[in-house]
Amino acid sequence: MYSSLVRIQNTFGFFTTVAFVVAAFIAASDFVTPRAPVVNVLKTTNLQVVRGRPHYYSSKKEEYAIIKFTLDADLSSLFTWNTKQLFVYITAEWPSTSVSGTTLPSNVTSNQAVIWDTIITSPSADHLANIGPIALKKLRKSAAGKPIDPSRGKITLKNQRPKYQITHPSGKIAETEDVTLRLHYNVQPWVGVLTWNQNADYGLWNALGGGLSKKFNLPALKKKDEGKKAKA
Amino acid sequence: MASQEKISVYNLADLKNTSDDAIPNYLNSLKFRQSHRLTDIRLTLGYGALAIAAACLGWDYKFGFDATKYYTAAAVALYSLLNGALTLWIFYVERGTIYEGTAPSSAGGDTIRISTHTKKNVPEYNVTVEVTGKDGKKKGKVEVTKPFTEWFDATGHFVAAPFQSVLATAVPAVGKADPKRVAGPKEGAAATTTTTYTPEILEALAAGTLGSETSGAEPKSGKKGERRRKA
Amino acid sequence: MLSGMANPRQAAAQLMNFGLIVSTAFMMWKGLSVITDSPSPIVVVLSGSMEPAFQRGDLLFLWNRNIFSETSVGEIVVYNVKDKDIPIVHRVVRKFGTGSKAKLLTKGDNNLSDDTELYARGQDYLVRKDIIGSVVGFIPFVGYVTIMLSEHPWLKPVMLGMMGLVVVLQRE
Repeated sequence: MYSSLVRIQNTFGFFTTVAFVVAAFIAASDFVTPRAPVVNVLKTTNLQVVRGRPHYYSSKKEEYAIIKFTLDADLSSLFTWNTKQLFVYITAEWPSTSVSGTTLPSNVTSNQAVIWDTIITSPSADHLANIGPIALKKLRKSAAGKPIDPSRGKITLKNQRPKYQITHPSGKIAETEDVTLRLHYNVQPWVGVLTWNQNADYGLWNALGGGLSKKFNLPALKKKDEGKKAKA
Repeated sequence: MASQEKISVYNLADLKNTSDDAIPNYLNSLKFRQSHRLTDIRLTLGYGALAIAAACLGWDYKFGFDATKYYTAAAVALYSLLNGALTLWIFYVERGTIYEGTAPSSAGGDTIRISTHTKKNVPEYNVTVEVTGKDGKKKGKVEVTKPFTEWFDATGHFVAAPFQSVLATAVPAVGKADPKRVAGPKEGAAATTTTTYTPEILEALAAGTLGSETSGAEPKSGKKGERRRKA
Repeated sequence: MLSGMANPRQAAAQLMNFGLIVSTAFMMWKGLSVITDSPSPIVVVLSGSMEPAFQRGDLLFLWNRNIFSETSVGEIVVYNVKDKDIPIVHRVVRKFGTGSKAKLLTKGDNNLSDDTELYARGQDYLVRKDIIGSVVGFIPFVGYVTIMLSEHPWLKPVMLGMMGLVVVLQRE
């Protein structure tokens, strides 16, 4: 039992301890790195509500909204040596009382749906990105030799089509009032705590500046063929 | 008489455990009455904690987490309490005690408590013996530190005679019960040269050729005299 | 070593020590369960549907209490589909309503479509009680052992046997 096996055990035990201590330090380093994410522009550019199948796999026809938007944001300060990826997403939010003709129970007060998202990998995680080989080559070249690429967190989108057509369980979404767009982010570390956008400053981490659009109302329902034309 | 079993002489825990096991064997053979109080309380605490964990596993398996989470919380609290008590018991009450027992009345009837410890990477056996008289008064404390090489031969066999001699010589209560293992006190106090167990003698003992006639051999008599006075 | 087994108290103590190692691990797990209010506070990622954030074998720490705010859009949750026993780790992308009856829709970051297809027949949305926790902490790769164990079933008895042997043969 003794000698070699015990030595292997001890070596492995020591290795594990060291690995966990190093990981703990890396995770803790997040808290001493300042964050100052800012959204300069977030506004809608085109609104449509169409009745049809929002996805190819939808089973029923329902009303869905297509919200085009313009975004200008600088989230580059979220990238550190411990950042694996940044998940950025924009939600449309509206209170449920304003949904016309809703049959939902009264305790339902708020609605939130992602209309667009993107994954921004850190240069250290580029090899994991789920993109084609040519795009991957380009991506890796863009940050060659750099552990942190400050250009990664800068997003500029003009009249962007949403990735997701939003619906409502009631099947109705036209003429919804008081809708706002909000930008969120989720920092995925290599090791440690997952973090999201904050509403207040905590220590060295500033709240997300901006990130909320003006309130708007969704338009009335368009005819189906009109909607198709708009999509095309 | 060497024990049948062979241990690795590089494994300090093995050296200590084998020696620890030899103490009850030796003392009980001298008609000491062993008290299992400390061990029994430790086993009660430990098995109590185990029972709680087993019950928790049972209800969690049968009824699921959500239905039983308040019981589980109570079980976790109780388990930590019992486990904490066990840890405190081991560290502050047992303090490495491996034997508690009373000498036969022919040998004085003292109660002795033996605790042992080793220091990391030091092949020495530290024995502390606390002696309490019949009347419950503390009679003193003996501390002995001896290298394991005195009663282990090079191949890792335990040799009982020199080991028993160490105990009998250092602890009067044991010495009275087993006078032939005591290294002669009179010559010992005067002797300046000491006879330690050389590897050759150990081998011979292991082979059983020398037997008890060497039990009079006297290791480090000067020190021993001091210890006896303390005790 | 084994000679200690001759003494019943020593044998009982040795068995107890082994039992305490196992039971302490179990009770720590249960304690974490109680604190996080999740039946399974640590999970191993089994699929690639959340790549590149999570890969197979990564270890996730869950939290299942709503102290400051409700489970909302953007959180990565672990849920069990009715009558299926495989926990799924996906992100909440839609939430309609509030409270325990809020309707939640999830989607894997790496999947093209949302999880409607994964849910039980006739189920369009999740509710809060389907969720066993939101991901709060992350350690990469460490859980890969469990994936290896489930993919190579012969490893399990071998490892258990080796561990048992070590514990029985070793004192302290």
